[in-house]
Amino acid sequence: MASPFPRLLPSLPFSPSSPPPRIFPGKPLPRLRAAVSAALQWNRKPQLAGETPRVVVVTSGKGGVGKTTTTANVGLSLARFGFSVVAVDADAGLRNLDLLLGLENRVNYTAVEVLNGDCRLDQALIRDRRCPSLELLCISKPRSKLPLGFGAKALTWVVDALRSRPSGAPHFVLIDCPAGIDAGFITAIAPANEALLVTTPDITALRDADRVTGLLECDGIRDIKMVVNRVRTDLIRGEDMMSVIDVQEMLGLALLGVIPEDSEVIKSTNRGYPLVLNKPPTVAGLAFEQAAWRLVEQDTMTAVMVEEEPKKKGFFSFFGG
Amino acid sequence: MMPISGDVSMFFGALPSHPNHRPVMPTFLCSKARLDHFRSGASDLKVAPNLLQMKLPDMNSTNWSHVCFGTGENKLTPTVNQDAEVFLLNVVNMSFFDRLSLTWRMLFPTKVRNNSNAKTAKQRLKMMLFSDRCDISDEAKQKIINNIIEALSEFVEIDSLDKVQLNVSTDTDLGTLYSVTIPVRRVRPEYQDSEEDYIGNISNIEYKDTGERSGNIDVKFDFFLPSDQSKRVKWVSDK
Repeated sequence: MASPFPRLLPSLPFSPSSPPPRIFPGKPLPRLRAAVSAALQWNRKPQLAGETPRVVVVTSGKGGVGKTTTTANVGLSLARFGFSVVAVDADAGLRNLDLLLGLENRVNYTAVEVLNGDCRLDQALIRDRRCPSLELLCISKPRSKLPLGFGAKALTWVVDALRSRPSGAPHFVLIDCPAGIDAGFITAIAPANEALLVTTPDITALRDADRVTGLLECDGIRDIKMVVNRVRTDLIRGEDMMSVIDVQEMLGLALLGVIPEDSEVIKSTNRGYPLVLNKPPTVAGLAFEQAAWRLVEQDTMTAVMVEEEPKKKGFFSFFGG
Repeated sequence: MMPISGDVSMFFGALPSHPNHRPVMPTFLCSKARLDHFRSGASDLKVAPNLLQMKLPDMNSTNWSHVCFGTGENKLTPTVNQDAEVFLLNVVNMSFFDRLSLTWRMLFPTKVRNNSNAKTAKQRLKMMLFSDRCDISDEAKQKIINNIIEALSEFVEIDSLDKVQLNVSTDTDLGTLYSVTIPVRRVRPEYQDSEEDYIGNISNIEYKDTGERSGNIDVKFDFFLPSDQSKRVKWVSDK
């Protein structure tokens, strides 16, 4: 499935013993250029594993751990790799994914209107201008009455419609799940085959994540991967926060990515410019990109131990203490 | 060298992680050492074995931060004296500066590192996860009890079926524990330990003199003979 090591250098198309082809300054030979780019492996893209479309639900149980941020950034990273992604904000009452992507002004039609027959599906999909492979679908408008009619069947219908649309099925469908484990959660996990569990290393989030894991497995979703968000390595070193190894041990899930705590997340949310598009890339942005890479190749990572801080010795420390 | 007198023995309580050691002495926690009992001029030096647990500059055996010491009665066993001699031999061979730092560390030990927040959180989380995950219904509990009673009735006679209980508890090492308590009246006759198996069994061996020094052996032991009252003989007759 996944190749943890980079591909070995492919053999060059021409043998070294033959005379090197003459390269004109303005027109390099296409064969040589292809060979060089294959040898140097620049602009490498991940290889898609699993059947398309891959329907992934991003859930967590506890609110505020970073589900919507993860959906936005991972979705955008996937789109930048070249895959076609549809991000669905399955929170029917309060929606935030459009804010994070900076597309809140362009939401005219939502899935409720598609179900009612007021518009077509492709009219409800909002394409991002910065990255054309990413499309956003919201469930309902915030000012309308709470759409009590939007249930699991409706969302499954929407995902099937996306799968069988004339412009081709998307490679990825990321569903941003609402917080909690009530009707909204049940709706969001209905069409999904895989789950991405976002959690933070604190005790409340881990307990809720464990409960959600149980519910997901009951529902039939066995492929659950974990993303640990808001990790502060300084606190882990000082033994004030549980390390990622502890988290993995407690929950027993495969680890997809570890995102460090970064103030850039707040800044990028305020601007409506997702984190992964920052140049130069930030720490959290790189982590999101790596997590997206692993999601594509269905790979997992293993956590490493953070080195303990050497105990600072004061002047009188030899007196004991 | 060490300001210890013959009457008072200093012994150290430390975590016995040294492989050759048995935890002979209990661990005592005290904050300050009472050094006012000491007199100079140690004639008969008795040092507890756990001193070997201290991290000597050339030995890297134990975690230094867990060592603390206290004063007490002189109740040393022969093995302790042997270990003390070994320790003293090591100490005598160390350089002056090493002995000085050793003394310093004995007198001013580093305090035990308190429980970190991460470890506390991990413990609490473990407890909660186990109790959350093991939510068994009453019906299932009753069924488990019935099955176990049925299985066990083949071997023992159960005292009263009402007193059988199933308890779910958590343990830090093992995790979730299901314990079924069953009061048993007696074992069924066909499964009881036959005394014939024990005929000729020798137990409770006590050596008063092993004969290494004097050449004589003085041993006391028990030899099993079945009593007449509880004799069970199986008659197998050919017909």
